[in-house]
Amino acid sequence: MNLAFTESQLPVRLRFEQPLSDDALARFSSDNDPLRIERDANGELIVMTPLHSDSGALEGEILLELGRWARTDGRGKVFSSNAGFTLPDGSVRAPDASWISLRRWNALTRAQQQSYAPICPEFLIEVRSNSDRLINLEAKMEMWIANGAELAWLIDPERKAVAIYRPGESPELLNEPTSVQGTGPVAGFELVLSRIWQ
Amino acid sequence: MNLALSQSALPVRLRFARPMSDAELLQFCERNEAVQVERDANGEIIVMSPAGIGSSKMNLRIARLLDEWAESDGRGVTTGPDGGYILPDGSMRSPDAAWTSLRRLKETGMEDETGFASICPDFIIELRSNSDRLAALEAKMEMWIANGAELAWLIDPERKAVAIYRPGESPELLSEPTSVQGTGPVAGFELVTSRIWQ
Repeated sequence: MNLAFTESQLPVRLRFEQPLSDDALARFSSDNDPLRIERDANGELIVMTPLHSDSGALEGEILLELGRWARTDGRGKVFSSNAGFTLPDGSVRAPDASWISLRRWNALTRAQQQSYAPICPEFLIEVRSNSDRLINLEAKMEMWIANGAELAWLIDPERKAVAIYRPGESPELLNEPTSVQGTGPVAGFELVLSRIWQ
Repeated sequence: MNLALSQSALPVRLRFARPMSDAELLQFCERNEAVQVERDANGEIIVMSPAGIGSSKMNLRIARLLDEWAESDGRGVTTGPDGGYILPDGSMRSPDAAWTSLRRLKETGMEDETGFASICPDFIIELRSNSDRLAALEAKMEMWIANGAELAWLIDPERKAVAIYRPGESPELLSEPTSVQGTGPVAGFELVTSRIWQ
């Protein structure tokens, strides 16, 4: 059964009479492949449009930089935006790019790693796209910190701004930075933004 | 853009970032003819599975009998389960059968019959199907009265029962009636139940 939407109607939130199980969520996601799907803490599904091409290129660029650093650094693993994690609040989320230490990743069982693993990335990046409302994204960043992320960056290419979230601190706002320095779990990582701001 | 859903997951409630206008809702319904769509007073869209053929057969019979009476009576218009009404509470509902006087339709400028009627029918009938929860249907009947229906019948073919709702009165329950008499706006209409169930 197919429901037809226009792209401008997304994102849409779906509430089923019975919240979908993890298996049903995985099936639903693969049945709806190009769409991005997350599950909220209250069991609602959030269905988002695929990224526009330029946002996807930007996301690719960021992932590449984070991956290069992580490989040299050797302490952790990088995850693409298709990786879903089950957070302590019960939601299933997929950040645009994220990093988890091998110490914590290897403490998961194989079966957990092969599911929406019950783990919150220590570090993650969200990239704002044109269709994202800032207020929603800010709430999402707070949600990441509340669920245990130690560092979270919100990159807004339109406004050439970066907001840095850490537990117990107000977000730090950087206006047109040329680069951002990783701290805490990803100390040593530097994201050069001049290429991204182009 | 399509969203694949298994029929067993229905009904599902959809909440869009921006509530649909009445015109967008009509377009959404036209694009998704295979499912039944209503809009809640809070703006959520409810997507329901099509009726089974047993229900459809009974529904058609009820609407036909009402329409045959209405045609000879001449004072009003009958619609079937695909007719949408925008109610005073902002919801859009499709009763299984409904009758509205021509006089009231003219008063609201709906005599051209395009789009949803922004009016609450004078008389509606809801038919319970196996998957309908009674408590939800009872709430729906109260909703009809609260929105201005003068008479509303809930027909439960499984239990061969009819509940009659009127403003300011508790529902009147009829167990295995041989016929139900219309009152108020549809005085003169008689539904012989042996034509609905055997």
